[in-house]
Amino acid sequence: MSEAGGEAWDAGLAAAQEALVRAMTAGGPMPDGFDGAAVRAAAHGILLKRAGEVARAWPALAAAYGTSWKAEFAAWAAPRPTRGSFRDGWDFARAHREGLAGEAARELALAEIGWAYDGASAPRRRRAALRRVPGGVAVLLGGRVRILGGPPR
Amino acid sequence: MDLGVGIGWRPEIAGFVGALPGLRFTEVIAESVHPAHPAPELLGLRERGAAVVPHGVKLSLGGAEPVDAARVAHLAACAEALGAPLVSEHVAFVRAGGIEAGHLLPVPRTRAALDALTANIRRTQAELPVPLAVEPIATLFDWPDAEYAEGDFLTELLDRTGALLLLDVANVYANARNRGEDPVRLLDRLPLERVAYCHVAGGVEQGGRYHDTHTAAVPQDVLDLITDLCGRHRPPGFLLERDGHYPPIGEMRAELDAIAAASGLAAIT
Repeated sequence: MSEAGGEAWDAGLAAAQEALVRAMTAGGPMPDGFDGAAVRAAAHGILLKRAGEVARAWPALAAAYGTSWKAEFAAWAAPRPTRGSFRDGWDFARAHREGLAGEAARELALAEIGWAYDGASAPRRRRAALRRVPGGVAVLLGGRVRILGGPPR
Repeated sequence: MDLGVGIGWRPEIAGFVGALPGLRFTEVIAESVHPAHPAPELLGLRERGAAVVPHGVKLSLGGAEPVDAARVAHLAACAEALGAPLVSEHVAFVRAGGIEAGHLLPVPRTRAALDALTANIRRTQAELPVPLAVEPIATLFDWPDAEYAEGDFLTELLDRTGALLLLDVANVYANARNRGEDPVRLLDRLPLERVAYCHVAGGVEQGGRYHDTHTAAVPQDVLDLITDLCGRHRPPGFLLERDGHYPPIGEMRAELDAIAAASGLAAIT
């Protein structure tokens, strides 16, 4: 399946590329003939790059993990192909919701009030919503989020 | 076209880039541009007469599947919006079977991959208002069963498509270092007169491998390779890529000056 729905130029090449991507991002088996250690090193480099991108989209989330952010994210993301840094960070935050506090919990709450996201398809902007957040109640109206009760600063 | 020394435009360093007195050449990640509303700083550079080159990273020209028409249209719209003299993309694939790899991956050096690349580049060129330059990537591994040497594969691709070459000197260095080869040997196998411009960047050594991260200073070996390249055929421009761990302004200025000195081009700082 291509993004554009087009038929592959070459079915054998398509299958070989998919097998490599699965090995690097989705826990698939290493295809024959590759230097497995080198491919794993490349895959790990990609995970670290993804961690940096997610940290830009979710700064409070990354900050909550301090210097262990890249390692924590990489371990979680290793068998999960990227769906873009916004969703990657959201999925990570939801999977670690229990441990989130302060600014990181607030960052997740603000995303959840602004967007409808079922974890499976792309997030959609909400038009209006009301939600408890650490330190008060967040109200989304006309595309703007306001916090009633003030932030916990 | 004479581009000179440039630096990749990123929002984090927009102030530094915009303040470079001699800058006539920059590059912006195409996927980050809204063609209807490009960043005002970029339009300001364009008005000053600087060339702004949209650089795509997610087209997947090397994919076994046809390039996505919407992504090609976006690249074309970026070129129009920025008055770009050319656009660039990679000799790589970034997704397969509907799964995003998250980065640029190498293609096998086979006839089948060459055919797919050729078809995708031609399809892209047909929609672009300006020439396309394609960039060989840095890779930590190669596919087994290569049917072409790297230089022959790239030369054949350029011959078939008429595309220009975006030669990343740091990628040439990184690949040669990780393969235990001499980077100059690849320079001697490439059609250097087809180079539209060059990339330059720094990387980090990790676990015995050199990763081209764009987050560190340009190594002296890469600067030396620039000099080797210019001794053979000097390309129209060299562009510094920095994608994080931004150093103090003085260090970034010194990097640009070092690239100018190594290439014999005018300093822009």
